[in-house]
Amino acid sequence: MKEFVLYTGCTTPVRLPAYEASVKIVLAKFGITLVDMKDANCCGAQYVESVSHTAFAAMTGRLLAIAEKMDMDILAICGACSGSMKTMKHELDNNKKLLKEVNEVLAEEGLKYTGKVEVKHLLQIFQEDIGYAAIREAIVRPYRGIRLSAHYGCHVTRPEEIVQVDDAENPKIIDKIIEIAGGTAVDYVGKTRCCGGPMLGIDAELAGKIGRDKIENIRNENVEGIITACAFCDLQLTQVQIGDDASDQDKIPVMTLPQFLGPALGVNFSSLGIELNRINPQAILQG
Amino acid sequence: MSKLDKTNEHEEHTPSSSFSREIEKEPGGADIQHCIQCGMCTASCMVASVTEKYRPRKLIQKILLGMREEVLTSELPWLCMTCRQCEERCQEDVSLAEIFHAVRNIAAREGYIPVGVQKVVDTVMEDGWMLKDGYSDFIEDDRDDLGLHTDLGWNNEFVKKIKKRFIDGGNKK
Repeated sequence: MKEFVLYTGCTTPVRLPAYEASVKIVLAKFGITLVDMKDANCCGAQYVESVSHTAFAAMTGRLLAIAEKMDMDILAICGACSGSMKTMKHELDNNKKLLKEVNEVLAEEGLKYTGKVEVKHLLQIFQEDIGYAAIREAIVRPYRGIRLSAHYGCHVTRPEEIVQVDDAENPKIIDKIIEIAGGTAVDYVGKTRCCGGPMLGIDAELAGKIGRDKIENIRNENVEGIITACAFCDLQLTQVQIGDDASDQDKIPVMTLPQFLGPALGVNFSSLGIELNRINPQAILQG
Repeated sequence: MSKLDKTNEHEEHTPSSSFSREIEKEPGGADIQHCIQCGMCTASCMVASVTEKYRPRKLIQKILLGMREEVLTSELPWLCMTCRQCEERCQEDVSLAEIFHAVRNIAAREGYIPVGVQKVVDTVMEDGWMLKDGYSDFIEDDRDDLGLHTDLGWNNEFVKKIKKRFIDGGNKK
């Protein structure tokens, strides 16, 4: 049995608790236990990162150190958090001066990061720790060919040589799981492009344009739903279909990967928080 | 049209590398001089595709030319989503996300931070996380229904210490 410490990040527990619940239930089905990281702080992605690299290093370094004290590797389910922790781990593991500076602050509360901890994104757990064969075996209620498009999340797959999740230019993990669960994975123009989420704090109008561009590219393929692996992307791709500037065309349901996979594994809808989805995903669930 | 786009095309520039050397010394800025100005970044950029004001290649060019004041006081370095699509395709392995982080760090130290960014930084450095105010009773009920713990237990002591040590100190420059 494998164990990870779950770092939820800021967004998931408040804006997308159904994702957190589905991750826990679906991974438990495969014998993976998650322990919540207690007394955590924001990783500092994007905002703190933009104003002080050292402050960012200390905040993310503290998360790595907490996991090291717990003697467990970290599971991140948000692209921003997995991106920060993976890139900062890479930097701390290769920059002794920065590591020393971070550890000096951490020492004040008895923490230390030495490089032992690994950071994994959810997609890696499915591909590396569970494996496609075990997922295939666990499917009890396969989908009947429903057409779905995957959105991976920029910080989930890039920079490829550091994060080491999938092929950054041609990601396949979500697509493979869609197919294993009985769906039909459908490619679309601009699959690896950003959802626009990181632009929200700077220019909401541009963020909306970028998100809607992606939705239209997906709509052109006549799919029934979008499957995500990042809380931020999931919320953004939903919001751009609901907000004031949304088109009046039919909304395309957006679901996180574990929420999509759960029903195929026999998990009931309510424990996956399906009713909390802002765009009703019944079209997917009946497919 | 932004200030950065108003460069007089007839003016002869003598590239001054003093600003790019400054960027080189910042974390993330080391590769700036590797840029060959091919424009793959702008061609790959989603932000550039939805607004004419943002052209990442041009912005890097301004840095290479040493237009320090213009770059630091502009909103443009903050428009990069750090999606890293461009760096995945850059033949010289230049990371614009990292370079713009370096630019932003310098701009922040000199007091140029967009309001939206400052607000989030202030919140995170006070509460320890981003969404304390957004965590309503309704959401607490949803979490309870889902069998999730409702006390999120974020630590705010550490960020306060970090702010004092690395952010407030930095602004005094």
